[in-house]
Amino acid sequence: MDKEKIKMKNILVILLLLVFTSMNFGQVKVVATTSVIYDLVKEIGKDKVEADYICRGDQDPHYVEILPSYMLKLRKAELFFKIGLGLEIWAQQLIDGSRNDNLKIIDLSNGIEKKEIPAGKVDASQGDIHPYGNPHYWLDPYNAKIMAAEILEALLAKSPENSEYFKKNYQNYISTLDKKLIEWNSKMKKAEGRSIVFFHASWIYFAERYGLKISGYVEPKPGIPPTPSHNAELYNIIKKSGANVIVMENYYSDKAPNQIASQTGIKVIKVPIAVFGMEGIDSYIKMMDYIINNISGNL
Amino acid sequence: MSKQTAVFLLLLFNINFAQSNVNPDISLIGTFNTTTNFNEGSPYKGKINFEDPSLEMFINGYLNPYAKASANIAYHEGSFAAEEIYFEILRGLPLDMQLKGGKHLLGFGKINTVHGHAWPFTERPLAHRIYFGEEGLNDIGFNLSFILPTENFFSSFDIGLYKGDSFRGIGGHEHGQEEIHEDEIHEGEEAHEEFELNETNSPVISARLGAFFGLSDYSNLEIGLNGAAGTLGKAGLDNGLIKNVNFIYGGIDFKYKYKPDTYKSLTIQTEALLNHRDIINELEGAEHFVLGDAINTYGGFIFFDYQFNKVFSFGLKYDFTYGIIGSERGINSLANDAGNKTSGISGWFGYYPVEETLAIRIGAERLMFDYEDGTIRDDETMFKMQMIFSLGPHKAHPF
Repeated sequence: MDKEKIKMKNILVILLLLVFTSMNFGQVKVVATTSVIYDLVKEIGKDKVEADYICRGDQDPHYVEILPSYMLKLRKAELFFKIGLGLEIWAQQLIDGSRNDNLKIIDLSNGIEKKEIPAGKVDASQGDIHPYGNPHYWLDPYNAKIMAAEILEALLAKSPENSEYFKKNYQNYISTLDKKLIEWNSKMKKAEGRSIVFFHASWIYFAERYGLKISGYVEPKPGIPPTPSHNAELYNIIKKSGANVIVMENYYSDKAPNQIASQTGIKVIKVPIAVFGMEGIDSYIKMMDYIINNISGNL
Repeated sequence: MSKQTAVFLLLLFNINFAQSNVNPDISLIGTFNTTTNFNEGSPYKGKINFEDPSLEMFINGYLNPYAKASANIAYHEGSFAAEEIYFEILRGLPLDMQLKGGKHLLGFGKINTVHGHAWPFTERPLAHRIYFGEEGLNDIGFNLSFILPTENFFSSFDIGLYKGDSFRGIGGHEHGQEEIHEDEIHEGEEAHEEFELNETNSPVISARLGAFFGLSDYSNLEIGLNGAAGTLGKAGLDNGLIKNVNFIYGGIDFKYKYKPDTYKSLTIQTEALLNHRDIINELEGAEHFVLGDAINTYGGFIFFDYQFNKVFSFGLKYDFTYGIIGSERGINSLANDAGNKTSGISGWFGYYPVEETLAIRIGAERLMFDYEDGTIRDDETMFKMQMIFSLGPHKAHPF
């Protein structure tokens, strides 16, 4: 009888342990629209957050299909971080589909100094213009510090009991980032004033940070696929400006850039602009390392 | 310009000039179809038929933090109609339920809730034309939607109660049109009961159980089970009893999509529908009706669509259904037809030069007819060129 009781007790203890270990005590449940935000959240929240993201690193964040599994991710989330400025037009459908009444939505563009805010009337003749400004601000690594500060603030508000932990992680990350900024500044110093061609209008924040001159884009207008007439125009621009590199996001087809390269001798560089956008790119710092090493090494 | 057109343009003009951040989203979808065929007896045999353009105006926006409202006003063949007018309570209800109320497309299968301009093909599936009608299942009522507590995959259950007019319009009769008087009743019909069909106010119940599985980062699968049941009308029997003329639809749908990148994707999708209904028969040589045995018929389709180079797609669809496509609505036709069959093969090529803003599709559909009484009818082939524009904000596509 005693043996039976002890056996039952042990089973109960094991079951309780299993239940407790499977529960994420004190973790803030976070979903981010992009893997860049996800990485920053993980750096600050570490094991006190349960984080996930929607848009794959190798996926164009402008176009995300509405999958019910994404709604499931948002269903139990407490915080939802987004880039904002109209990048994630799909986000609201996911929020509505999740039916999550307690979801707090944080737009990380709030503290960003926006660029390319169109003046006057915006319409589709200008391509995929973002009326509130260019949303690709995370490609300026100084903006990552602003994003991290916003994330910290949201985590502190959600989980004040972990404030010291979050603040310490944030400081550590900012300190690492500051060191990398010095390194990246140094690498990009030689590129200052050089002409460059980009595929899509994602790079204004990066280019202005490092003093690059954008000679042109492979897309005739933002989001509009390359055309032969625009390619011909670009040949002349490249020759006149002396640009020697086309930088493009690795989720776009390199067919048109390669055609231009074969005519002009310009070099095509494909880079990820999100975490997990390429094998081995598993953090924002590694992503920026890859971008800066490739651009500075080829200009 | 007709009065209706003038009112519509006035409305549109005013809405456009009153735009502000708090106004609803407004978008216009225009469709131009040009068809031809080489079918004997067709007035357009070997000729190009420029169909009247059709237009859909979508208006939607938030009513408050918890609810949205939507309307779809359609212009088709010279007249305007409210295709959909509904509200949705998205959050804040018990059990995380969502409520949709008003006139809307029913979630019976996957394709019915998708507007025609967003299909990869140019023609509504044959089984939908027979069992849902040319405009699809679109009814007045409300739907409750629940997310089921499955942790590892998304599953949902929807149940709705509808007026049922769209169901009755397919296989039933116009209310009050088929009244049979007592002196017309025949005697000696052992296998059948005589009746008159009267109006019914009985609502139709429709339900759907859906499950979505993420198979990998690039491929997903959704499976759905659908059901609807209701009464098409009431029959007055010769013994004075009133009997309901009932129907039941059952359905299954399946969608698989593989999309490794922005430039290519493969979609394989199918739907099958089972139709069980009481039918009424017309006695030969007499102008009255008898209640026949219930029929069991079915229909369905399967297609694939392959998108390549971002802007092109092509696909093939096979359709099968009981009933003869193009038949007039009657007591032995369309959804009441358990003897004749139509099958079809269609193919299409689509060109989408700039995302969702323009679409040009060229499609062909070949219909084959199988008559129970041995009637020989030539196969019919139609070619269609479809041009679609989309003006205004468009939402991301749901799976």
